[in-house]
Amino acid sequence: MYPGPTSPVNRLHKSVSSVRSSGSRQWTQHGQNTEGETESFCQLKARLCGATMKKVLEVILLLLLLVVTHAKGTRYSPPGKPALTRCRSPEKETFTCWWEPGSDGGLPTTYALYYRKESSDTVFECPDYRTAGENSCFFNKNDTSIWVNYNITVVATNALGRTFSDPVDIDVVYIVKPNPPEQVAVTVMEDKGWPFIRVSWEPPHKADTRSGWITLIYEIRVKLEEENDWEMHLAGQQKMFNIFSLRSGGKYLVQVRCKPDHGYWSEWSPSSYVKVPDYFHREKSVWILITVFCAFIFLILTWLLHMNSRSLKHFLLPPVPGPKIKGFDKQLLKNGKSEEVFSALVATDFPPKSSNYEDLLVEYLEVYIPEEQELMLEKSMDLDVGCLKCEGSASDSDSGRGSCDSHTLLMHKCDGVKEEEERQAKEARRHQKDWKEEASTYAHVDVSPDMSSGRVKTWPSVFSPLPRYTSNQQGSLEMAKQHYLSDSLFPTSSTSSYHTQPGHGTTEAHGPGYWECGLSNKQPHLLHPQAQAQRQLQARSDDNISSIGRKQTPAGLHSPARRSTEYVEVERVNEEDMVLLQPVSGRCGDVEGYPEMPYGEDYSKVKGVDMDNMLLLQREVREETENCDTSSTVTTTQKPAACIHSAMPVEGEMVLGVNGYVDTATVCTPPTY
Amino acid sequence: MNVKQGQWAILLWPYLLTTSIPLDCRDEQGGLSRCPSISQEKLLDRVIQHAELIYRVSEESCSLFEEMFIPFPLQLQRNQAGYPCITKALPIPSSKSEIQQISDKWLLHSVLMLVQSWIEPLVYLQTTLNRYDGVPDMLLNKTKWVSDKLMSLEQGVVVLIKKMLDEGLMTTTYSEQGLFQDDGQPEMLEYVMRDYTLLSCFKKDAHKMEILLKLLKCRQNDIHSCA
Repeated sequence: MYPGPTSPVNRLHKSVSSVRSSGSRQWTQHGQNTEGETESFCQLKARLCGATMKKVLEVILLLLLLVVTHAKGTRYSPPGKPALTRCRSPEKETFTCWWEPGSDGGLPTTYALYYRKESSDTVFECPDYRTAGENSCFFNKNDTSIWVNYNITVVATNALGRTFSDPVDIDVVYIVKPNPPEQVAVTVMEDKGWPFIRVSWEPPHKADTRSGWITLIYEIRVKLEEENDWEMHLAGQQKMFNIFSLRSGGKYLVQVRCKPDHGYWSEWSPSSYVKVPDYFHREKSVWILITVFCAFIFLILTWLLHMNSRSLKHFLLPPVPGPKIKGFDKQLLKNGKSEEVFSALVATDFPPKSSNYEDLLVEYLEVYIPEEQELMLEKSMDLDVGCLKCEGSASDSDSGRGSCDSHTLLMHKCDGVKEEEERQAKEARRHQKDWKEEASTYAHVDVSPDMSSGRVKTWPSVFSPLPRYTSNQQGSLEMAKQHYLSDSLFPTSSTSSYHTQPGHGTTEAHGPGYWECGLSNKQPHLLHPQAQAQRQLQARSDDNISSIGRKQTPAGLHSPARRSTEYVEVERVNEEDMVLLQPVSGRCGDVEGYPEMPYGEDYSKVKGVDMDNMLLLQREVREETENCDTSSTVTTTQKPAACIHSAMPVEGEMVLGVNGYVDTATVCTPPTY
Repeated sequence: MNVKQGQWAILLWPYLLTTSIPLDCRDEQGGLSRCPSISQEKLLDRVIQHAELIYRVSEESCSLFEEMFIPFPLQLQRNQAGYPCITKALPIPSSKSEIQQISDKWLLHSVLMLVQSWIEPLVYLQTTLNRYDGVPDMLLNKTKWVSDKLMSLEQGVVVLIKKMLDEGLMTTTYSEQGLFQDDGQPEMLEYVMRDYTLLSCFKKDAHKMEILLKLLKCRQNDIHSCA
C-alpha cells in the first residue's frame, strides 16, 4: 500500500544482478562474434576484467560499510513510535494536531500525518505541516468538518523502516480551546465613596460569538500583588464584571479566561495591574469615635465608683449589725458563761423602781434661776419667743417646759386684750426672753384685776393642794406682779432682787411662773402674756400703786407674806424628782421689808364663769388658811393625782375648787372652737 | 383537519413555559380571527433556548451514564469521538463554511430532520434504561425530560417553518416502527455500548441543532455580520 523505500541491500542485489546480467549479455555477444574476433579476445577479456573490478569494488565497499556498522553496535534502527499529543481548535473552524516524535533511530526520519474521516475510508495526508510549527499539522477551514470523527495517525519513517503511532479519534467540536480574551480593561470606579474595579474584555477575535457559532463563558481572577491566593469570579457570558471589597491603597492583578460550553479553558490573559486609591474608611472612623467615647465614659464611671466605693460597698453588702443589747457582753458570751450573760441582760432599773408613774411625768417645775441668769433674764426677755418656744418645744421631762405643752392647761385669751398687749409687747419682750430658757410661758387670763394676781391657777396640780400652800405663794405672785410693774416702770435692774434666793442652789419658778404659763393656741397674741400682765397690772395700778415701790426680795422669801394659804414655795427639786416645798416665810404675816400690799384685794374668789369665759370674782375676806409653819414636802407624786383629778374636761361647767377658787385648768377645757 | 385542529393545541409548547397565547390563528373557518400570536423573533428565541437546554441535559445524562456503566478503557476519550451515529446518513452540513452556504430553508429543514430522527430512539432509550441495575433516578428523569422536550422542540420548529417558510408540515407520529427492536438478550456489554453510543450521538446532534438555530437567528438579524 505504501511505497516502500529502497534499501541499500536491495540496491546491492540489484547491482549484483545487473552485473550478472551484464555478464551474461556479454557472453552472448561474444558467442556471436567468434569468427572474426580472435584477435579481440584479449580486448574483451580486458574490458570484462575492468567492469568486474568496478563491481567488485562496490561490493567490497558496501560489505565494509556493513561490517563497520556491525562493528560499532546498533546505531541505526527504525524510528521510534511517535505519539499524537494533542489536537486543538481555537474557534471550531480550524484545528491543529501536534505529535511527539519517538527516537529517530539515528537516521534521518520523516513524519507524516494521515487521517481518515468517519464515514469514508479515504486516507488523506496532512495538508499543512508548517503553519503550526514543528511536528504539527494544521487543518484549515476547508479541511475541517465538525461533528465528524477524525481518525488520525502519525507515521515516522527512516532508512530502516517506518513506525505507526496509535490512532486517535477526535471530533473538532470537543477539542475547542479558545484563545484568551482580549482587550482586558481594568478601571477603578466609585460607588458612593466605596471604590470598586470594573473589568471589561473582548472575546478572542477568532471566536465567532456574534453569530452564535461558539458560545463562550468567562472567568476572572484577582489578587493583590504581594499575595499568593487568587480570588475567582465566574462571569458567565457577560463581558464586564465588577469587583468590590477592595483594600484601600492596594495594587491588584486581574486576569480573564474563557471556555466554550463544551471545550477547554483558555489560557489566562496577561495580567492587568490596577491600583486602588486610598480612601477613608468611614465605617472605621465611626467605630473609633464610639470606642473613644465608651472609653471616656468607662473612665468616668471607674472614677465615680472609686470615689463612692465605700458607700457602694455598704449598699451592696450591708454590714452585719452586731448585737447591741444593752448589758449584753459579747465577751461573756464567748467565754460561755451563760448565767452571767443573761444576768447582765437583766436590767436592774427595769421596770422602773419608782412606784409612782407620776414621778416620770413632770408637768411643771419651779425653776430656780440663779442670780446671773436673772440678770440675763431681765435684760433680755422676749415675750414672743418665750411663749412661742414654749408652745413649740418638745416636752422635756426634766424641765418645767413640759407642762407648758399640755393643752389642758392652755388658757383662753380674751379678745379685748390684744391691742394693748401688742403695744406693750415690745417692752415686755425683753423681759421675757430668759423666761423661755426656764421653759415657762406666760398667759394671763383675762379676769378682773383682783382675780388675776394670784388666784388664778394654771396648774391643776399646783392648785389642788392649794390649801396647804402658804400665802407666800400669793406673795410670790404679788412679787411677780410687782416684778412686772417694776419692770415696766423701773429699770430692770431694780427688780433683780425679787427673784433671787441666794443660798439656794435650786431653781425655782417664780411667781409668774405659777400662774402665767399656758398659752392659748387660738390667739397668737397670747405670746405676749407679759403684756397682758402689764396691762392688767396697769389696770390695777390704782390698787397696786403701793406695790410699785417694792423692790426688794426677801432673802429667803419670794414675796412679802400675805395671807395666802394656797401657795407653797418650792424650795428645790431633789434628785429623786421630788419637789420640796416650803412655806413662804412671810406667810404668817411676817413681812420683811415688803411694803404693804392691799392683800385683801389681791385675791378673790371666783364666783363663776360666764359664757364669755370670764371669771366672775367675788370679793370676800380671805380666810385664814392653814398654818404657815406647816412645811410639807410635797412630792411630785401628788401632782399626777391632782392633775388627773383636775384635768377632766368640763365643758360649760363651773368647777369650783375646794376653796371656791376656780381651777382655771378645768375651765379652760379643750377648745370647742 | 380534526387532527390538525387538535395539534394546534399541542403547538402551544413554548407558552406552556410562559403564557398561553396561541401561536397562530386558525383561519380554516375562513373567517378573520384576530388573536394575538407570538412574533417570529420571540419564537426563534424560545426555540433556541429549548435547544440549549436539551443539549445541556443530554450532556449531563451522557456523562452520568458513562460514569456508571461504562468501563474505563471503553470510555470515550476527551475528544469524544464516538461510534457511528444513526444520523450519520443525514445530509447535515458539517462545517461552518458549508452552513453559511445553505439557505434558511435548508437550515430549518435540517433541524427538523434531526429532531424528528431522534424522537423515537429516545423513547426507546427510556425503556432500555429501566432494565439496568441500579440506574439512578436522576438519569431516568433526565432522559425522560429530554424526550419530552424534544417533542416540544419539534412542534416549535414546525411552527417556525410555517411562519418563516409558509410550509405546512406534519409532526411525527408514533406509528412508525423504530429501528430498534428488542431482539433477544445479547451480551450485556453490547447493550450498554449501544446505549452509550446512542446517548453520545444524541448529545452531538443536540449541539448541532443548537448551532444551526443560532446561525439562523444571526442571519435573521444581520446577514452580513454572520461571517
